Amino acid sequence: MKHPPIPTEASFTSPLRHEHLTARIGTWVGISFGLCFLTGLVSHWYYLNDAPFFPPVRPVWGYRVTQGVHVLSGTAAIPLLLVKLWSVYPKLFGEVPFGQLRPLLVNLAEKASIVVLVSASIFQLVTGLANAAGWYPWAFSFRATHYAVAWVAIGALVVHIAVKLPIIKAAYARPLPEPASSYSEPGAGPGRRTLLRTALLASSVAVLAAAGSTVPLLRKVSVFGVRTGEGPQGVPVNRTAEGAGVLETSVDPAFRLTLVNGDREVTLSRADLEAMTQRSHELPIACVEGWSASGRWTGVRFAEVLDLVGAPRDAALRVRSLQQKGAFGVTQIPGSFARDPLTLLALGLNGERLSLDHGFPCRLIAPNRPGVFQTKWVTRIEVVT
Amino acid sequence: MRTRLLIGAIGVAMGLFGALRFLQLDPEDIIDALIWLAGGVVVHDAVIAPLTIAVTVLVARVVPAGARRRLTVALVVLVTVTVTAVPVLGRWGARADNPTLLDRNYLAGWLVFAALVGLCTLLVSLLAGPLARLRRRDRETPVSQSAG
Repeated sequence: MKHPPIPTEASFTSPLRHEHLTARIGTWVGISFGLCFLTGLVSHWYYLNDAPFFPPVRPVWGYRVTQGVHVLSGTAAIPLLLVKLWSVYPKLFGEVPFGQLRPLLVNLAEKASIVVLVSASIFQLVTGLANAAGWYPWAFSFRATHYAVAWVAIGALVVHIAVKLPIIKAAYARPLPEPASSYSEPGAGPGRRTLLRTALLASSVAVLAAAGSTVPLLRKVSVFGVRTGEGPQGVPVNRTAEGAGVLETSVDPAFRLTLVNGDREVTLSRADLEAMTQRSHELPIACVEGWSASGRWTGVRFAEVLDLVGAPRDAALRVRSLQQKGAFGVTQIPGSFARDPLTLLALGLNGERLSLDHGFPCRLIAPNRPGVFQTKWVTRIEVVT
Repeated sequence: MRTRLLIGAIGVAMGLFGALRFLQLDPEDIIDALIWLAGGVVVHDAVIAPLTIAVTVLVARVVPAGARRRLTVALVVLVTVTVTAVPVLGRWGARADNPTLLDRNYLAGWLVFAALVGLCTLLVSLLAGPLARLRRRDRETPVSQSAG
């Protein structure tokens, strides 16, 4: 039986492919990957309980911006990477110099580094994109895996830049050459410059179509935004009271908040909390999935609650939720955030009593922190010793 | 060369750090993640890339030369942006208890987006002729002045 011919690098005849075009698109892929990696590191830092030093408490919208940039730079990279991979696809069929050991080893080493780069890049973009839409079609732990593969992807990218540096330099030493056929007769087909601009246009459109989840001005434009920003009391919800299994415990009249500092213990009802000095602050909820929304939270200053058991000023606190299912039922808050004057044990949102889905009877809301640490349905606060 | 070696060494160190973190995951997680790592490349190299090339060959054969540029631009924008919308279009992450997640009509949004791409392409097609004529006249005007 005759098999179809196996293509070689020369089988691909598009006049548009050129290593100087690849270098230019690659630059944009590199910029978006770099932004995505750095903002990803920032996000990872927020998740560390044992960091040598903690993220700053200001600006209040810090995490909102860095995580928005993280998700949007990843989204921007998708059209760019697709065009980039198209431009180098024939290399997959490049000749392997069997027979000569040294060239063979160099060839295989480069191929291996490319396999690592491409697989890690696609993996990061696919898992990140799915995660932002609340979709987990895999079994592995998302955060730990996404973090590990991020280092692999960025490391392979840096190696790739080192290998291709001469081509990159040559590409920027002169204007992008156009293929003879399309340059001489306008209208004969797209040129390389057109393709580069198209990739950037597609990337920008992808960002605009998604950004409304975190940029309120773009809510109406972002047809693919994972959230409109609407929700009970004007703020979206990540985990509902039903999803957390707290529909009954949160409204139980016997609910008490327990404060623990060593052997000192104080219990408070919601009425006790309402009797304390109430304050209102405008603070954003910024989720690791990239969406964010601002709300006006009302409640008791967290520091004043901690003072009831004489918690040391610099002590970290363990905050327990009524939540039975899912991760982050117990979180830790560093002293700097716990003692910030803006940090509240919130009882109300946007002028109303806190709804069940937003954490009734009381929830933590601090400036500049990922949403998962803004613990809802708080039932116990312990000084970490 | 020394710069390249230095950059390369930094890259290798970063990659190794990631590989080390990766190997510290649970064994089942490692196997599952490896399947996804390989799956992405296979889906791209064996499905997406050949399909793209098939479409470009088709466009080159079927579409008149004058329309190829705008059609290419339209298709690249339409298809690559659609790829970024796959999870929301599929709504796989939707949860019955949480109406604030995936709370748009994404199919309607996609149709509007596709219609906009089509409309822009049509506008460019309609304006291409008059614009080219205008540009030609601009180029010719100073010549006729100097001649007069």
